[in-house]
Amino acid sequence: MAEGGTVLGTSGEPRSDERGLQTRRRLVPYYLLSPAGAWLLLFLFLPMLLLAYTSLQSGGILSGGFHFTWEFSNYVDGLQQYQKFFIRSVEYSLIVTFVALLLAYPMTYWIAFYGGRWKSSLLLLILIPFFVSFVIRTIQWKFILGDNGFILGPLKSLGLLPDSYHVLATPLAVVAGITYNFIPFTALPLYVALERIDKRLVEAAKDLYSSRWEAFRHVVWPLSLPGVFAAFLLTFVPATGDYVNAAVLGGPGTTMIGNIIQDKFLTQNDYPQAAALSVILMLGMLVLASLYARILGTEDSTIAAAAGGAA
Amino acid sequence: MSAVATEPREVAAQEFAPINAPRKRLTRFLLPTYTWLMILYLTSPVFVMILYGFNAIPGDRQTPKFWGFTLQWYRDLFGVAGLTSALKNSLIVAPVSAVVATILGTFLGLALGRYWFRGRAPVNFLIFLAIAVPEIVLGSSLLSMFVLANSRVSFLGSVLPLGIRTILVSHIGFSIPFVAVTVRARVQGLDRSLEDAAQDLFANPVTAFYKVTLPLIAPAILAGFLLAFVLSLDDFVITNFVSGQTQTFPIWVFGATRIGLPPQVNVMGTLLFGAGLLAAVANVVVQRRRS
Amino acid sequence: MNEGTDRPHRDEALMDAMMRARLTRRGLLKGAGRGAAALGLGAFLAACAKETSEAGFDPKQIFGGQPGDKINFANWPLYIDYTKDKEGNRYIPSLREFTKQTGIDVNFQEAIQSNPEFFGKLQPQLQAGQDTGWDIIVITNGQYFTALVENEWVYPLDPTKHPNFDQYAARWAKDPPYDPNNKHSMAWQSGFTGIGVNNDLVKGPVTKMDDLANPDKVGKGLVGMLKEDMPDWVMINLGIDPKTSGPTEWKEAAAWMLKQRDSGVIRQYYDQGYIDDLTAGNLSATMAWSGDVLYYKTWAGYDNLDWNFPEDGALHWVDNMLVPAEAANPAGAIELMDFYYQPEVATAVTEWVLYLSPVPATKQLILRDAKKAEEQNYKGYANKLFATAENPFMYPDDALLGRTSYSRDLKTDDERAEWNSIFLPISQG
Repeated sequence: MAEGGTVLGTSGEPRSDERGLQTRRRLVPYYLLSPAGAWLLLFLFLPMLLLAYTSLQSGGILSGGFHFTWEFSNYVDGLQQYQKFFIRSVEYSLIVTFVALLLAYPMTYWIAFYGGRWKSSLLLLILIPFFVSFVIRTIQWKFILGDNGFILGPLKSLGLLPDSYHVLATPLAVVAGITYNFIPFTALPLYVALERIDKRLVEAAKDLYSSRWEAFRHVVWPLSLPGVFAAFLLTFVPATGDYVNAAVLGGPGTTMIGNIIQDKFLTQNDYPQAAALSVILMLGMLVLASLYARILGTEDSTIAAAAGGAA
Repeated sequence: MSAVATEPREVAAQEFAPINAPRKRLTRFLLPTYTWLMILYLTSPVFVMILYGFNAIPGDRQTPKFWGFTLQWYRDLFGVAGLTSALKNSLIVAPVSAVVATILGTFLGLALGRYWFRGRAPVNFLIFLAIAVPEIVLGSSLLSMFVLANSRVSFLGSVLPLGIRTILVSHIGFSIPFVAVTVRARVQGLDRSLEDAAQDLFANPVTAFYKVTLPLIAPAILAGFLLAFVLSLDDFVITNFVSGQTQTFPIWVFGATRIGLPPQVNVMGTLLFGAGLLAAVANVVVQRRRS
Repeated sequence: MNEGTDRPHRDEALMDAMMRARLTRRGLLKGAGRGAAALGLGAFLAACAKETSEAGFDPKQIFGGQPGDKINFANWPLYIDYTKDKEGNRYIPSLREFTKQTGIDVNFQEAIQSNPEFFGKLQPQLQAGQDTGWDIIVITNGQYFTALVENEWVYPLDPTKHPNFDQYAARWAKDPPYDPNNKHSMAWQSGFTGIGVNNDLVKGPVTKMDDLANPDKVGKGLVGMLKEDMPDWVMINLGIDPKTSGPTEWKEAAAWMLKQRDSGVIRQYYDQGYIDDLTAGNLSATMAWSGDVLYYKTWAGYDNLDWNFPEDGALHWVDNMLVPAEAANPAGAIELMDFYYQPEVATAVTEWVLYLSPVPATKQLILRDAKKAEEQNYKGYANKLFATAENPFMYPDDALLGRTSYSRDLKTDDERAEWNSIFLPISQG
């Protein structure tokens, strides 16, 4: 196995090269990643270490603070008590990711292949609504989806819906809200992957295959897979931990694990359990994402490698 | 080559005109319509927000009822204490955080997508964790860390007091992974032969990067920048924890929901949206000039 | 605020005149306040409070000495008097007045969105013994207030330094059960948790807690409940006194709440954002804070909304001013806190905020302002001021207060854990 900064060829295998170049090349990746790496070490890794440390503490806010006691029961209790919330969050999040991918793919396809000069402006147009604070957007959605708001009001007065029908405070509203808020995170990676596909490949594919769909399926789709995987990562993973949409748009029976962690932390001041639940969430996401990477068979099964590297 | 390839296709197109028509319809009509509908859908709450910025409400807290049109909230834009400075803070932090995170994240994404090196797996792992961690625990851990550091090492208290600096530092921190993942996805699919050619052409690897690699990954850099910008502008939970006494726009707005939002919030949102629109239009103009 | 309410906020002359009137009176009252303290109460308290309190906090030392130049005051949004000057810039008259008198600058920030969030934010610094940057914070009585006090993260006040409080504070504000002898806090504003009703959507009067579990009265999926307030509120309406309740009573309340949830009436369990849903017509009835609904009804024209005092009792909560440990300017802080107990100043705040003032004398002053506005032909404004002054929920008599109760004080982690394990699952379904 080649070590150091070996450049990967198109097939993913390390290339052989002159020794001198090899040595110089070996250091390149380290130069590239050191500023970001240092930042992440300080402001992400250290806090997460702190998180892991907190998750093994016990005590209480009124009992003289928290102390490190290898309290693995935080994890056991957490898993037992809150199983259903983990599962529900994953369910919601899978739906969200699937719908978001479905919604975003055609749009980014068109922008990437047919957008021309307007490409970056269209991209910007997709994102501008998200410059406005999520609180404002969610409140406006509450107006729009209100029982007698812009959508339900007319439908009800036309008799198409029963008077007592409401969208807010149901799982539908929560999933719709999360999907809406994460579309930029789905669309951008998809766009990035689609945009770099050589149009001539697509042309050639259209010649080779009998239908447009076949061309898409055999050429465009596989080439866009890294983007799909990135979109999945950036949507599914953070969406599972979301709490805002469930809090504002949800009702009884829509509580997600993010809300549980929120409550544990802020309401109960039970920092160790909150930390333990978070660690469980993160590791759970890791497992699911590696599974997905293997199924998808991405060229660079980064997460599989990470899981392997970490184990 | 393409000439030869298209000719038979065009002939085939004429022969199979009925089949061709739906194909044309797809790209010429359906897809773009769909895209614009999606953009409309994404913008719909913003339209409501713009509308309610003109709502002539009695009192000074927003209500769902629409009472009539007025410009008073535009006149009285800076009339709510704290809101203006909160917006200002957000408008300082977001671009700076986005720029720094994009630079750092791009290099990180490049390294991860292109090279095999020791420590690659842990770095990927760390990035993944950063995306997966619930904001509330990241925020509180950062706060605990800052507090701990400030109490143990006194000079840190003056370098990194809780406030704009800690907000900025935290925002850059959680934005880098998003940029890195986006750039990495792009780099993974790059055609190496182009870069090899560049290496041969240019003696200086920096020039090779600048002239060849950078344009190739430019869309990913732009996408990453936009992501980082939105992440920072919109962040509430982490910012709330590490901000000390400083307030940003989302924090202020969230706080006001307890009692009811003043309409000035809608106006400011409208202006933010307008600024974004202007940027998009300006971009189109620039692109036109280029071609 | 706009032309619609004919609230003459733009007429600085009127506001100025009122303020000036307050100034002259205040001068008198202040002197009187000092006099009373010097005469009896203050001296008596000073004599008794010689000993230092917990953690070696010596209130005399902390609050003694010259106040500093600046006070950092953290409060909730829209919880203080705002008005506009001639150029249309907003400012806070009461704070401006304080600065004029004392020369101390006040950095007022609406930094508190909710008790648990603000507490969670301050906790690491307080734990590490660091200055949080705030001299005054406003926290509602409850779990977080108790945690601050029990952990000695707030300073005990010097009882000789709040003469206005001693003279003008309402009886309920002095020596409350959650802070005996006002050792650490002084009330800012207060309110009741009752039933907010949308008369267009309910089928009949909704005045009892049981109505909120009755689909025939409130419909299905149209009722809101407040997460933080509900355990105590339900207990009160079941005839249980929260102060003396234990796990058995808590389970009784939880059983009622589960029954309510099973009947299908619940729309949502709220942290705080119920008022939007109520005004939007998404709720028929909800647990609500008196001031919110009163505001929308009186000043925002929502005639279809009402706030009802539950027949079996309401929850009385108090937002309290506290001085966090390691604050930079405690001497200035206590001076500002006491400043707000001058009736004229308290009136300015209450007329704007519309919650219970801890200074009963404000009632007469609001009536006076109402009459003055009437004379100057601001009819609409005057009527609203009259309505405010005569509102029994803003100036409750003893009978009404007797039907309210404070929340249960949870003083140990075990109690909190038990409480949360019984009640949290209901809203976390």
